[in-house]
Amino acid sequence: MPEPKTSAPPEYDPTYLNSLREAYVIVALFAVFCFWSIFVCYNYGYLSPGEQRSDISTMMGIPSWAFWGIGLPWVVVDVVAVWFCFFYMKADDLGEAHEGEDLAEQVAHLHEGEGANHE
Amino acid sequence: MNSLTFVPLLAEGGSNAAIVSFSIYILGVMVLAWLSNRLLQSKSFLSEYFLGSRSLGVWAFALTFAATSSSGGSFIGFPSLVYTHGWIVALWIGSYMIVPIVSMGLLAKRINQVGRKSGAITIPDILRDRFESPMFGAVATGLIVFFMAFNLIAQFKGGSVILQTLLQDVPLFQTASNGLADMLHGVPILGGSEDKPGYLLCLFVFTAAVVLYTAYGGFRAVVWTDVMQGFVMVGGVVLMLPLAIWAVGGLGNATREMAQMTPPNNVKLELSISDSLSESLNIPHNSWLVLEEGDQRRVFRTAARSQIQPGEQTASYRAGNDEQSQAIPGIELTYAKQIDSQMADDLGSDVTVRVVETKEYVGGAGRAGVYVTGPGPHATSDAGFLPFSLAVSFFFMWTFSGAGQPSNMVRLMAFNNSTTLRRAIFTVSIYYTLIYFPLVIIFCCARVLLPGWETESDRIMPEMAKVTTELINMPWLAGLLVAAPFAAVMSTMDSFLLMISSAIVRDIYQRNINPEASEKSIKQLTYVATIGVGTIAMLAAVSPPQFLQDIIVFTGSGLSTSFLAPVALMLYWPRFNRQGAVAGMLGGFATHVTLYTIGTIQAGKVDAYKLFDFHPFMVGLVASFVIAIAVTCLTPPPPEHLVRKYFYK
Repeated sequence: MPEPKTSAPPEYDPTYLNSLREAYVIVALFAVFCFWSIFVCYNYGYLSPGEQRSDISTMMGIPSWAFWGIGLPWVVVDVVAVWFCFFYMKADDLGEAHEGEDLAEQVAHLHEGEGANHE
Repeated sequence: MNSLTFVPLLAEGGSNAAIVSFSIYILGVMVLAWLSNRLLQSKSFLSEYFLGSRSLGVWAFALTFAATSSSGGSFIGFPSLVYTHGWIVALWIGSYMIVPIVSMGLLAKRINQVGRKSGAITIPDILRDRFESPMFGAVATGLIVFFMAFNLIAQFKGGSVILQTLLQDVPLFQTASNGLADMLHGVPILGGSEDKPGYLLCLFVFTAAVVLYTAYGGFRAVVWTDVMQGFVMVGGVVLMLPLAIWAVGGLGNATREMAQMTPPNNVKLELSISDSLSESLNIPHNSWLVLEEGDQRRVFRTAARSQIQPGEQTASYRAGNDEQSQAIPGIELTYAKQIDSQMADDLGSDVTVRVVETKEYVGGAGRAGVYVTGPGPHATSDAGFLPFSLAVSFFFMWTFSGAGQPSNMVRLMAFNNSTTLRRAIFTVSIYYTLIYFPLVIIFCCARVLLPGWETESDRIMPEMAKVTTELINMPWLAGLLVAAPFAAVMSTMDSFLLMISSAIVRDIYQRNINPEASEKSIKQLTYVATIGVGTIAMLAAVSPPQFLQDIIVFTGSGLSTSFLAPVALMLYWPRFNRQGAVAGMLGGFATHVTLYTIGTIQAGKVDAYKLFDFHPFMVGLVASFVIAIAVTCLTPPPPEHLVRKYFYK
């Protein structure tokens, strides 16, 4: 006796799954660099009320807090971008463009409505 | 030729270079528009005109994204901020390090895929198709037209002001402006604005050029000109960086000198002469004046153009609302080294200075080190320029506000494949690295090189271009450097213009009024709409509303708070439904507008109420996400066929 056919459960689109995974990494990267910059700049680069600081330590001519808190993470982000773009992010298929399909559906619905009215 | 005559000639050469480079530039964009229009003839009209047939490659996609994000603010307002507040502006702009990865990577692949699946051409299109809801598409269209219309007027004005700033010293421009003033005298639509002929001339020329090439060439022309504009911008910065560092004798020198500086005082001055003259005496904007009192030397700079009339002894200026005032605004230097070295300008007569009023900076007055540390000096706020809460707000705002802009989203629908996206994110990351941090360095150097420009800090970019290129005896190079600001403005204006025109033609007319309109009539309507919108915005910019910069911030952050949550959730959450999307969009919009309304009532001008010290963008965005998720959970799931279409194989 033949076994009854079982329809396989639908599978998620791989482009959707990859994009979702990449989105989590992007949000995590944002959190890391946001914390890095603001923590370093606020702790080492801000004056307390009334404070003066006429001798400032520098790195390559840049105030140290700006170098370690903005300049360095900026370069690190560029390196991370190489990893993210060329090694982590998937080259997913985005599919064919269904140009005009949405409008065609709309027009078809319009005519369906007219047909129903005539019946 | 001795050095005294050499310098003015170089300056004149630099000014002429500005008009020559602008003319060459306009010619270039027109050629690109013509080429785009030729391509348009062989493709599906709407998809090509508004989306470039989804075929953008790496350079086109990367640079149109980068150039559209960089408006006039990047090259006029931002340098002005660095000059005025010092190194802390590096933190203010710091989140641009991560902007390309977030604003392109977060949504790009999915929005491009969903757009292809549905055949959507615009952002309202994709929202409407994803939920099969014409009502949602209409709401999105309404919000885009509402915000973009204000923004377009502001950008038109901004572009014209920048062009005027660059050309105001050119004799040919002055002659043409005066001719225009005579021609337009008494024209009612100008509402008395013919007394600013330079602005009007720039407005007409600038906007006519942008409207023409945008209308004629469509999205492809906008993208190609963006690519050209992108190269001009980065080229300008990369050239100016070594010149600026060299001019101050090394960046370390500049930073150490900035560490000694203290903020200037804002003053009101009475300027007089001992004997009245038979002819009027002009005291230009930005004139240096010195007051010797015993062994004390005080140095001032005027922040308005004033005049001593024949037979009178005291200067007056037009203070707004056509009222004349004898209290001339200006600044007083407080940094000893600059006070000792700055000479008074020769005004043609001995002018006596009396200080009527002095106001110290509320944040940072008299404190060395404020220009090299946070929160930075501020004329009116004791919390300084960038207190902690605002530093956090801006870090979030630049990153996620960019991701939520419909003008950026539509670009994410236009690239050809994922490989292009990966390369473009990296390209834009490098591009922003070459633009923003170097701009901070350049205009910190400007603080040392060009004292006293707090009087008109929006002019610091062209002034810096002029001075640095004069130092290396290459004034013609100033033309290339000052091309960067108008490239930045144009690349933003053309994109906004096309957004509004696509909303009218595609989202309002074709999707809601006449879905069966022929391609020929759509084509005609598209050209008419683009030119019509541009013309109306230009006329509105003849007498623009006040507080334009505040309006730009209001509209930019308003669009993001309205669009980011619904778009992000519709791409990644299968359970997300129409009710949640509409509620999230309107919830973000209402929160944002409410906070601005409260702020405006409190301040008497367009201003934001900062709940818990956070910018309305942050509050509105959180509200939008919370409302969208809550309403979705409380209402039925979306139709099964939509979930299958957009989330399954």
